[in-house]
Amino acid sequence: MQSTLKVKGLLVITLLPALLLYSFFVIVPIFWSAYYGFFEWSGLGEATFIGFQNYVEVIQDSVFWRALKNNMIIVAASIIGQVPIALGLALLLRKSNLFQRFVRSAIFLPMVISTVVVGLIWGYIYDSQIGVVNAVLTAVGLESWTRAWLADPTVNMYAVSIPIIWNYIGPYLIIFIAAIQNIPSELEEAADIDGATGFQKLVHIILPMMWTTIKIAIVLCISGSLKAFDQVFVMTGGGPAQSTELLATYMYNNTFMIYRYGFGSAVSTMIIVISMLLIVISQIVMKRKNLR
Amino acid sequence: MKTNLLTSDDHSSLVNRLKDIIFTVIKNIFLTIISLLMVYPLYWLITSAFKTNDEFFSDPYSLPSTWVFENIVRAWEVADLGRAMINSTIVTVSATLLTVFLGALTAYALSRFTFKLKGFLIVFFLLGMLIPIHSTLVPLFTMMNLVGLLDTYWALILPYTAFELPIAIFLTVAYMTTIPKELEEAAIIDGSGYWGIFFKMMLPLSVPALSTVAILSFLRYWNEFVFALVFINDSSLKTLPLSLAIFSDGFSTDYVLTMAAMTVAVVPTIVMYLIFQEQIMKGMVAGSVKG
Repeated sequence: MQSTLKVKGLLVITLLPALLLYSFFVIVPIFWSAYYGFFEWSGLGEATFIGFQNYVEVIQDSVFWRALKNNMIIVAASIIGQVPIALGLALLLRKSNLFQRFVRSAIFLPMVISTVVVGLIWGYIYDSQIGVVNAVLTAVGLESWTRAWLADPTVNMYAVSIPIIWNYIGPYLIIFIAAIQNIPSELEEAADIDGATGFQKLVHIILPMMWTTIKIAIVLCISGSLKAFDQVFVMTGGGPAQSTELLATYMYNNTFMIYRYGFGSAVSTMIIVISMLLIVISQIVMKRKNLR
Repeated sequence: MKTNLLTSDDHSSLVNRLKDIIFTVIKNIFLTIISLLMVYPLYWLITSAFKTNDEFFSDPYSLPSTWVFENIVRAWEVADLGRAMINSTIVTVSATLLTVFLGALTAYALSRFTFKLKGFLIVFFLLGMLIPIHSTLVPLFTMMNLVGLLDTYWALILPYTAFELPIAIFLTVAYMTTIPKELEEAAIIDGSGYWGIFFKMMLPLSVPALSTVAILSFLRYWNEFVFALVFINDSSLKTLPLSLAIFSDGFSTDYVLTMAAMTVAVVPTIVMYLIFQEQIMKGMVAGSVKG
């Protein structure tokens, strides 16, 4: 009896601090945000209850849909750009000799760099005057392709996606290498004896065995892309003319630049809803594919 | 007949070996190019930090002809990097210690005891990994404004820790469950209480997991930008990423100065990476797989 009491006391003391901190800073804000979404409020003074008006306005705002579309471009760019490249590289980097470990470290390196620095460096790389991109294009005679990469609305979303791919490819590579190393070697040996080509082994053994990991990678791409903010904020701030606006920059600009806290809260709530929806949808879609 | 067969066998194995060699060479050239592409922006950053502005424009891609260390000094002063470095250190170290301690404490309860709410709590904590950090900015700002936390170190330490806890708990629980129960039983027979077990046994035995948590948290906090941007206005409290952000418009024409400031901010993380890379890679992957 005394000992169960002791355990109960211990559990309370060990769990409570983390639980309180986590609830207060991570969970409660979600509900708080949904609640504030019902108010017209400038951050100072009176907040006026206006019902669903903010949410309606968000849905009717074309900038919101453009931001969502831009987020989707980043989702697509990271799924198309990160998953296959990381997968290909993982196939080439299965051994752990010195050279291969060096290459892995190089690919993982950007991951530990501050996202602000990533944004600033790539801002220079894309610069129309001093940037490497235009310099390389000029050097190979493609001068007509040079442009102000971050200012041109026809290309700037793709331009800002590339640093994000560069920044985050490392973890995918390491996840895939781990998954490849987990494939029992007997399977490949058996395939070798049957005379399977490298490509056949890839399609019939390696990819199916890695499907779970690939699914995880895709979910990570989706949730990671909705978190995209820092690099784009530093490179373009969402501009010019909101052409690189993301859900997060849209929320930030509305709340902290023009002080519409109620509206910003409504956008915040939408971000959570969209993020949960996308993850659920992707799970359902990929589960179906798995059954076939 | 027989000899013929042998030679054709020899021949094809030779062709295969030659194919292998060519494939390996092409592969290694390709991998080298990829590595250079990944590292080049950082190389360019660090070399540019030591040029003059004139040289940066006339010859942007070569090594500096003379290394101008004065840029670093100037950047240090202009962006008040010394102050920023101190602030970043205070916030990062405190939040890291808090994360490791609270993570270990929670993981101890979740990994060594069975109780009614356990399953719920694990799911509840894991949920945190799915929540986009930006969606909590507005409510956190208003909440912290209400209790007067804005523009204090706590405005960063507390939310940093709260958002990192799910990963810390997940990594530590996974490790602690592998520690054999018999050790605990032996300690109880020797007269240790639960706290004794936690401090004298679980903490020291979990050092590998806890150091992974510490390194990951450190990197994340050192580089964190959004919370600092919103919760810190007082320029004497700015962290490194925040003081770098002034270069995104204010000083954009003084390129080498910006490069120098960025170099100062980036070097500690690169050094840390070079020392702990295996642990960082494994930890980040384990942490992100659940997120």
